[in-house]
Amino acid sequence: MKPAPSLLSSAFLQPAGQALPAPLLALRKQRGAALVDMPMPTRKTENWKYSSKYLKLTDEMAASLPTTGKTGSALAVPGYKVVFINGVVIPEASEYPDLDNILIQRFGDLSEAEANELAERLDSTLDAKAVQFAGLNTARFEDGLLIRLKPDAVLDQPLFIIHEVTADASGSAFPRIFVEAGRNSQITLVEEFISSGQEAVFVNSVTEFTLAEGTNVTNIRLSMDGEKVQHIGATGVTQQRSSRFESHCVGFGGPLRRHDLRVRLEGKGAECKLNGVVVTQGTQHYDNHTTIEHVAPNCDSEETYRNIAADKSHAVFNGRIHIHPDAQKSNANMSNKNLLLSTGAEIDTKPELEIYADDVKCAHGATIGQLDKESLFYLVSRGIGLREANVLLTMAFINELVAQIPVDAVKDTVQIRLNQFFDQTFQEV
Amino acid sequence: MLSIKNLHASVEGKEILKGINLEIKAGEVHAIMGPNGSGKSTLAQVLAGNDAFEVTSGSVTMHGEDLLEKATEERARDGVFLAFQYPVEIPGVSNLQFMRTSVNAMRHHRGESEMNAAEFMKMAREISKQVDLDPAFLKRGVNEGFSGGEKKRNEIMQALMLQPKLAILDETDSGLDIDALKVVSDGVNALRAEDRAILMVTHYQRLLDHIVPDFVHVLAEGKIVKSGGRELALELEERGYAWLGIKDDETAASSAN
Ligand SMILES: Nc1ncnc2c1ncn2[C@@H]1O[C@H](COP(=O)(O)OP(=O)(O)OP(=O)(O)O)[C@@H](O)[C@H]1O
Ligand SMILES: [Mg+2]
Repeated sequence: MKPAPSLLSSAFLQPAGQALPAPLLALRKQRGAALVDMPMPTRKTENWKYSSKYLKLTDEMAASLPTTGKTGSALAVPGYKVVFINGVVIPEASEYPDLDNILIQRFGDLSEAEANELAERLDSTLDAKAVQFAGLNTARFEDGLLIRLKPDAVLDQPLFIIHEVTADASGSAFPRIFVEAGRNSQITLVEEFISSGQEAVFVNSVTEFTLAEGTNVTNIRLSMDGEKVQHIGATGVTQQRSSRFESHCVGFGGPLRRHDLRVRLEGKGAECKLNGVVVTQGTQHYDNHTTIEHVAPNCDSEETYRNIAADKSHAVFNGRIHIHPDAQKSNANMSNKNLLLSTGAEIDTKPELEIYADDVKCAHGATIGQLDKESLFYLVSRGIGLREANVLLTMAFINELVAQIPVDAVKDTVQIRLNQFFDQTFQEV
Repeated sequence: MLSIKNLHASVEGKEILKGINLEIKAGEVHAIMGPNGSGKSTLAQVLAGNDAFEVTSGSVTMHGEDLLEKATEERARDGVFLAFQYPVEIPGVSNLQFMRTSVNAMRHHRGESEMNAAEFMKMAREISKQVDLDPAFLKRGVNEGFSGGEKKRNEIMQALMLQPKLAILDETDSGLDIDALKVVSDGVNALRAEDRAILMVTHYQRLLDHIVPDFVHVLAEGKIVKSGGRELALELEERGYAWLGIKDDETAASSAN
């Protein structure tokens, strides 16, 4: 007899706060009911094969973290900002843009009619079967942010979303964002995940984008949660005709880090560019799963992910490209390169291509390597110290991707974090 | 300045250098010639500190100090420079960043302040002109996509920039057209100085027309089998290596296959 699969603990499905419009409460309840039998991923769960062992949820982590009395760290940002603390928007700490054609609302502030409309659309960009934990977010969110850009609306500066988690006690947070970009609108949305406190917590975030015809959306996602934070996040995107989506995901490892990024190219001529950088050290973990669905013809996708794993850390990349039968003249490029900085580190990479149209251009490549000894020797033979030579070569591996991050303040933050990583990884000899 | 005594070195358990003895004084230019595979590059790499090669016995001192116990970067900071026979391409690190880091590492070692970007740029532009490299090369990755000749000129550019005490040039003349050979040899001649020694590995007498060596050595099967003045190079050009009782280029090459 097969042992019964272990299920998501019912503690995680306890009703949360009620400060939401009725349609969202109803949706939450319905999703919760659907998760009663949700099996926890194991080694045998295909899309969690390399990562299930890092997922260690305990019932102490089930309850939502409190938000009362929390004001968040006063992170200065060059642009607009919305601060989430433990999954709840803190308006006092936020600076909203004051524009008629861009509406930014907390879920809690939506009218019944607006909430009804939103309830219809939440989860529409994510496939519940493939992204098991997105449904949990929908069953548990306490709040959320709805961003609506009217046709032709252009946000003149980046909008920063600071997702802060206060891990002073065990618990969890379920930040949720839905972005609806109307025809020909433009926005750059920066999401920074940070945390304070030292207790074990669980973060389960979901961000969705629907891009109407001709929109141009850039999403920068910076994952910098603390050492005790297990984070499962998902980003879902649907794109209509001639829209463009650009994503820059930069992630630093943790006890468990998982990000699913799913893009559906549904309208002719849509285009997406997905960049990713992951850096892990110690015994950290990071797992990126990306899926690009070429549904409509004449769409382009370009994906470039780089992993750097030091010490005994473990990075995973799984990149799926699915070209549907009608998606003729698709152009898909995927590159994943991996750098092992120690023999104890581990990287698993897996491209998955499913191509059902015949007139397509699809290229993919994945490599795993170490720093080149000859290059190192060349650098030190010019008097450059071994540590600095290592840093130069490691940076060389990701330079291009860091340079492409379109917001300088984020680039600086990333560089500072990278320097810390280098300090810990390459000791002066 | 440099004193090599009974130097033995091997790679992957195979002995390549089998007892090299060589004395080089400040101000001198030494040329090393010899068949393919005789160990010329191995000697150059061992002097620079490549730990792919294991020194099994012998000693090397520079200015009286034990060179072999120093790490590669320390040797470089003490003035050892190797122009590689095959310069490495490093995409993602710009030439500019590479050279500035290198120059500043040297300055730091000498207790001097770092050069700022503008000062460095000025110097780099001037030297790139001296070796006839378009300054646009500075922005490209280290040697990335450089032609063979451009790589060699880049090596000389670095030597001019770092002003080493001991410049080891491993076939810096190979693969150069006539104009480039002139540029490179002018660069090397510019390096000639009373307090500096040059050790150059070459197959061709024609380089020695431009850079007149004080001594010429023939390296064969891991040993220096003959030393002489510049006339030795002319003789080798005429007669090959066979008269010295060693296999010449062709037989060495074919026996290696
Ligand atoms: N990393 C290595 N692994 C194995 N053998 C090596 C390695 N490096 C050099 N050798 C061997 O050592 C010998 C000497 O090589 P070296 O490069 O020093 O010759 P060379 O005199 O510079 O020749 P050339 O004139 O062709 O440049 C050759 O037989 C070569 O194959
Ligand atoms: Mg050689």
